[in-house]
Amino acid sequence: MNVIRLLVVAGVACALSSAPAAAQTAAPKPPAPKISTATKEKAAEQNANPDALVLADFQKRIDAYMAIHKDAAKDAPPRKETNNPAEIKAAQDALGAKIRAARATAKAGDIMTPEIQNKFRRVMYPVVTSPAPQGTAGLEVKKDIKEELKENSEERKEEGGKPVVLKVNATYPNDTPLPTTPPQVLMNLPKLPEQLEYRIIDKNLIIRDVEANIIVDFVPNAIQ
Amino acid sequence: MRRSLLFVLMLLVLAVSALVAQDLTLPMKSGSVKFAVIGDTGTGDKHQLAVAKQLAATRAKFPFEFVIMVGDNIYGGNSARDYDRKFAIPYKPLLDANIKFYAALGNHDDPSERYYKPFNMSGERYYTFKPADGVRFFALDSNYMDEMQLKWLDEQLATSGSEWKIAFFHHPPYSSGETHGSNETLRTQLEPRFVKAGVNVVLTGHEHFYERIKPQKGIAYFITGSSAKLREGNITQTELTAKGFDSGYTFMVVEIVGNDLYYQAITDTGKIVDSGRVQRVGKVEPTPNRTAQPVVATGGSDKKTPSKPVK
Repeated sequence: MNVIRLLVVAGVACALSSAPAAAQTAAPKPPAPKISTATKEKAAEQNANPDALVLADFQKRIDAYMAIHKDAAKDAPPRKETNNPAEIKAAQDALGAKIRAARATAKAGDIMTPEIQNKFRRVMYPVVTSPAPQGTAGLEVKKDIKEELKENSEERKEEGGKPVVLKVNATYPNDTPLPTTPPQVLMNLPKLPEQLEYRIIDKNLIIRDVEANIIVDFVPNAIQ
Repeated sequence: MRRSLLFVLMLLVLAVSALVAQDLTLPMKSGSVKFAVIGDTGTGDKHQLAVAKQLAATRAKFPFEFVIMVGDNIYGGNSARDYDRKFAIPYKPLLDANIKFYAALGNHDDPSERYYKPFNMSGERYYTFKPADGVRFFALDSNYMDEMQLKWLDEQLATSGSEWKIAFFHHPPYSSGETHGSNETLRTQLEPRFVKAGVNVVLTGHEHFYERIKPQKGIAYFITGSSAKLREGNITQTELTAKGFDSGYTFMVVEIVGNDLYYQAITDTGKIVDSGRVQRVGKVEPTPNRTAQPVVATGGSDKKTPSKPVK
């Protein structure tokens, strides 16, 4: 009886001592797919891949945004080379104001819907977070991407620029450095028109209108 | 009395020889391609002004025709006042002399800078230009190296002939900087393309010091990110450094004569801290380990400045 009790105690002690170590080394689990019922039904109806439908929906929403952007650009001062920097800023501000007015009721998630956000997190996971076999190029690249993202965050704090407010239609602060987006991340994300770009702010992914300098929408905690 | 005179004379001779040793030693041949390189400039502070002043003074001796800017051209805001204070005023003597500036975007630059005519970016985030026959520059946006830009680069490199190919952008693929270090994610994308196409020289900034990297896969890499900002003692000891200087503000002057590219790195006080030559070997077929137009080891003294040990 005593022997059994001793074995149980030893077993519990082993489990307790190994648990924190395992928790420290384990990479976060990949995000589980979260596809809406409507998309699932549509996929079944069309015999299509639900993920493909999610990406098609993203494209449709980006196209709708670009229609607004192009419409606003028609009435804004033209973007052209100039010796007068005031004209550049005026064109940017005017375009930003027109897009904001046209999207006055826009809110977070209008473009990056919950299922699109989930898809993006799933796309980002293998590029940045998932464990790669030791000694492979993948491991090194992931390490470099993580370092780069960490460095971007640190630099933004060091340089003392204004914090980036994660809010649809917010201006990206002029005095805040733009974090580089690792090429490996860009290659795995859906392509954007040249007027838009992806930037990673801490763990969040934003879509920024380059010409209007505004945040179009974002994915909170895109990096797990 | 005679001894004193002799002593003074000797001092004079020494002073003159020291001055001569620090003077520009580029070939300064007529018809050569002459340019300057500045990086991380747009502060508008006294250090930018001091480097700008020295740059203008250097041009009196070495008449460079254009200036390459490797990014962080305008720190902080992007109002008209910012452009004036951080670019137009410091470089006014050069702009008045019709010296062209060609800018690349840094992480502190608003991409709308590409519309500022004096930056000669033709409204593009990445572009190419050919200042003379036999030399082509490729300005890249290393902040956002997407598929579109890489495709463009591949096309441009493929159509470029047997010219000097010089790429310039902000983030250094190789660096011994303690703050940033080598940007390996960028290097993974660019280096194979550079090697395949025979890019000879890469000019970058971002790190606030001067560093000449030992040629990597036949390509000469320079970092000139201390033309207004400085991180003193930031160069760590690595195998990469051919020459490092992290105790003063610098810019570079470069001259291309045939298959030779001569360079000198100069401080805001006019002291020359590095000089040498990159020699281009004639066109050869590329192999996995050799570029199409390899450079041989750069000349100049490969002496390191005191720097921090690797942590």
